Amino acid sequence: MPPRIDAAKCNGCGTCDRHCPIDVIELDKGKRLAVVKYPDECWHCGSCRLDCKEGAVEIVFPPRMLLV
Amino acid sequence: MSSLEQYGKVFETDVLVVGGGLAGVNAAIAAAENGAKVTIVDKAAIERSGSMGGGIDHFAAYLETGEQWDTRQAYLAYAGKIARGAVNLRVIDKIYCGELPAAIERLARIGNPLTQPDGTYYRTQSLGQPGPYMINFNGKHLKPRLAKEARRTGCRVLEKVAVTDLLTSDGAVSGVIGFNIRTGEVIVIRAKALVLSTGNTNRLFENPTGLPFNTWQCPADTGAAQSMAFRAGAAVANMEYLRLTVVPKGFSAAGLNALTGMGGKLLNALGEEFMPRYHPAGNKAPRFKLVEGVLFENQSGRGPVFMDCRHLSREDLEHLNRTLGYDKDTLPDFIRQKGVDLSKDLLELMVSEGMQSGPSEVCASGIKIDEECASTLPAVYAAGDCADQTRCCSPTIAGGYAAGKGAAKYAQSVAELRPVDEEQIVNAKERVFAPLKREEGLSHREFEDILRKILWENLGVVRTDGSIRNALSKLDKLEAYKDRLVARNLHELMRVNEAQEMLQVGRLSAVASLHRKETRFGVFHRRVDYPETDDANFCGQIVLQKRQGEVKVTFNPLTYEIPEA
Repeated sequence: MPPRIDAAKCNGCGTCDRHCPIDVIELDKGKRLAVVKYPDECWHCGSCRLDCKEGAVEIVFPPRMLLV
Repeated sequence: MSSLEQYGKVFETDVLVVGGGLAGVNAAIAAAENGAKVTIVDKAAIERSGSMGGGIDHFAAYLETGEQWDTRQAYLAYAGKIARGAVNLRVIDKIYCGELPAAIERLARIGNPLTQPDGTYYRTQSLGQPGPYMINFNGKHLKPRLAKEARRTGCRVLEKVAVTDLLTSDGAVSGVIGFNIRTGEVIVIRAKALVLSTGNTNRLFENPTGLPFNTWQCPADTGAAQSMAFRAGAAVANMEYLRLTVVPKGFSAAGLNALTGMGGKLLNALGEEFMPRYHPAGNKAPRFKLVEGVLFENQSGRGPVFMDCRHLSREDLEHLNRTLGYDKDTLPDFIRQKGVDLSKDLLELMVSEGMQSGPSEVCASGIKIDEECASTLPAVYAAGDCADQTRCCSPTIAGGYAAGKGAAKYAQSVAELRPVDEEQIVNAKERVFAPLKREEGLSHREFEDILRKILWENLGVVRTDGSIRNALSKLDKLEAYKDRLVARNLHELMRVNEAQEMLQVGRLSAVASLHRKETRFGVFHRRVDYPETDDANFCGQIVLQKRQGEVKVTFNPLTYEIPEA
């Protein structure tokens, strides 16, 4: 389910965690990495990707939405 | 240390805005500009929270250009026509028409003008409008810009706080209680006046994709304000309407007005452009008619239904692709990942999930507001999709501002903060945190799934006296399971609270539906036992209010003379 966060590009700034309106993403402060913790609660608004300065967020729709 | 601090962190403010979506940030800016100390509280961050957090591409407005349709009078006539029985023209005239020029000016001032780069307006016609009211614009960063303005005007923002209850003192609201969804800290906010702006209720009906968060509007919006305000004694109205829309198959995304506004045609499986059979405006018919068309074509064996944009010029297709991305940032990704190219392929459509929201673009459902955006509860104002008269981009920007002004004026008339009843804090804390203490029971997901199924089966596009009573009886049984809800962490605790808000909204919707013994707005309230629209008896609002623990039902008739300018 969207979004996917590229661990190599994520700098752990936490913007996507802060800006996610649904509390889907949470920053792992220890690893300094944003984690998509509740992927099935995403509503695909794209805010995480819009505000990621590192371009670390990719939106990938699941087969269930694309194929039905 | 005040005695309240033993319960959690205490804040004091003149105006408290609950819900920092599009209505909330505009309310906050208004209250701050009118001299109030303002606090905004939101479950997320106001930069991106709410249904328009990720962007918006249209702003409905008349611009007084000299065209007959482009006037206040024509807009009000259109509102009265497409939302007859639900829209209150006197309220719309005051809070939408009255605030519209300032709203357009405000967006330009904060760096998000409604004009194209060449300074002109790009306007399209859709959804039953008498002329091209939809100003297309790039609202991808509208929310962050408004948030910046709210912070610049001195508003304090409390993020990641779920508000669970209104606190009352001698019949007036004295503040709210909630909790931080990451730390669990109890938050008490005392205020002289409040603006409630938490949006409509999503996740309420079964989702056709089986994914409950795949919703047209923000799934974090679960009727908090409607539910809390009703419990505290506020009147709510227009709650019976089931809102549905037409969306790309598989993805409940915004974009319908962009598609039909640019000239997209709805085709059935036989390749027929069927909408003219349902409404003289064809593909540009009001939303409830488009829903009816798609639903009935499918049910008549002429589905699936598609959006056809193949005939559009390259220039129009480019504009369409851009504007779809402004409205729903990820929709162009979805269309691409689905392998559809709008210049040569058809896009399959479906009817979306149901939601509690207004029956038209020009009014909403929820807390009943007057010409000042005041609810029937002293000190409480409401705006946006949780109020009965404002929804969609432009009415929310205008109405939010009107509510903030009203609340600031009210706060000025109040000498000091009202006392807080500590017993209410103790009770709210006990109720809200109980699911964390339970070892086993019902998850919010299971609870919500039951609710969605009951509501969709009994309160969906086919309603009868029997089905509505069946829903109410089942909701009564579900009510008893509230005490079994469990949460394993604070995120789930927030969801458990949302599930209970949704149950409250579902019940109100069922009660109102029972009393509206007619059909209005097609499948948005389709009583098959009363299939006709009955203006003689039902041209107005079903109003619900809590009195001595019971739901009191009254009828507020509405008339449609255009108010004097």
